[in-house]
Amino acid sequence: MLTHALDIVRDNWLLLLIGQYPNGPLGGIAATLILSVLGIVLAFPLSVLIALARLSHRRVLWVPATVLVYVVRGVPLLMIIFWVYFLLPLLINVSVPGFATMVCTLTLYEGAFLSEVVRAGIVALPKGQMDAARALGHSYPKAMLYVILPQALFNMLPSMLSQWVATIKDTTLGYIINVPELTFAANQINNRLLTQPFEVFLILALTYYVVCFSLTWVATRLERRIAGRRSGAMRLAPVLVTAQ
Amino acid sequence: MIEFRDVNKWYGAYCALADINAVVQRGEVVVVCGPSGSGKSTLIRTVNRLEEIRSGEVLFEGSNVHAPMRAAALNHLRSRIGFVFQSFNLFPHLSALDNIVLSPWRVNGVRKAEAHDRAMALLERVGLADRAHSFPAQLSGGQQQRVAIARALAMEPPVMLFDEPTSALDPEMVGEVLAVMRSLTEEGMTMMCVTHEMGFARDVADRVWFMDAGRILETGTPEEFFGAPQHPRAQRFLSDLRSH
Repeated sequence: MLTHALDIVRDNWLLLLIGQYPNGPLGGIAATLILSVLGIVLAFPLSVLIALARLSHRRVLWVPATVLVYVVRGVPLLMIIFWVYFLLPLLINVSVPGFATMVCTLTLYEGAFLSEVVRAGIVALPKGQMDAARALGHSYPKAMLYVILPQALFNMLPSMLSQWVATIKDTTLGYIINVPELTFAANQINNRLLTQPFEVFLILALTYYVVCFSLTWVATRLERRIAGRRSGAMRLAPVLVTAQ
Repeated sequence: MIEFRDVNKWYGAYCALADINAVVQRGEVVVVCGPSGSGKSTLIRTVNRLEEIRSGEVLFEGSNVHAPMRAAALNHLRSRIGFVFQSFNLFPHLSALDNIVLSPWRVNGVRKAEAHDRAMALLERVGLADRAHSFPAQLSGGQQQRVAIARALAMEPPVMLFDEPTSALDPEMVGEVLAVMRSLTEEGMTMMCVTHEMGFARDVADRVWFMDAGRILETGTPEEFFGAPQHPRAQRFLSDLRSH
């Protein structure tokens, strides 16, 4: 069985890595990583905006942001993918390719989840930080920008890495709408071989595991370093002031 | 310079400040003392509106801080009132120097190089020029509080408020902070100071306000207050202090 699996890897490693590129669309692990990175990178600014809206005292900001977070958290990702995939083209009258659909959906979905992490990071800071900034005359946006967010986001780095891992796993659902990512590639191989589904999907599972485990490991290390820095010296913190 | 007119504040059914009427003259050093929970900190925090009030007025340079006003106007008022917290509230992601540079630069629009030079001069003045690039977590409590004083002074406020500036310090560090505060009084800075340091009050205060249960029960010179307190509550407070 092991030799079968190795044979499959030897014959199909390029397909698993980059899909049918350059003869077809980019796929495989490359597409999975690109999808997840695009998803999390675009979700990040969205999540900060949602978190700030959720913390706002203005109902026009607070209500829609809260509704969005609750809806997204209460609906399976697959439903949102279908909605974006089938409804969006009807609304804007343009057919949206699967890859773009997946990026939009992931941005929305991960953004909503990440916003709760951002919000928790902001709320967890001592109240005295905001008091001190306001007492010095900073407006609320300036206090957020120069005092609160640099601290909150730095403390949240490990959680953001975890969210990236979750995003990688969520990209598998792109398979449903024919986005040529890693799961799609594995299924292509399985359809061709027909007789070795166990080996094929074992390889698939192991590949996801290696990628996600490495990132989780980095997140854990980072978490330990940040915990150490919080109790002792803060040297690596993002310094907006000196960055100028 | 600062005037309280019929100030009342309630937390639910609990009266935090009751009918406060008092004045801090320009150039005057006022020490507010009294048992814990008497409303001293609440009172001093109403001056820059970190606490809202139920009724009355708090005038700073003739204008009511608690009048309805645009956020920008309140921020401007706050930038002209130096405030030092019991818990320092330095920004932990910034070095001592950057803590001081941030607000003149970002709030007052002082050029960064100039703000930097002035911050160095202030650090020298509080005796911490050699710790300019240390982060708050690398400084002792006394050093942090001196940086916090320098940070407030960087805005060049005409008045400084101190909210129990030495209460969170180890006893051997109280002296260095009080020395900086003494040097300010020698320069004629208007100060309002909540403190339990009765020696400091006796030496540098022009007037002492004694508070209990949200009321100012007695105001007088240190000689009057410590020599012959009028109110029975003040007499008891002072005899409790002396019995230690």
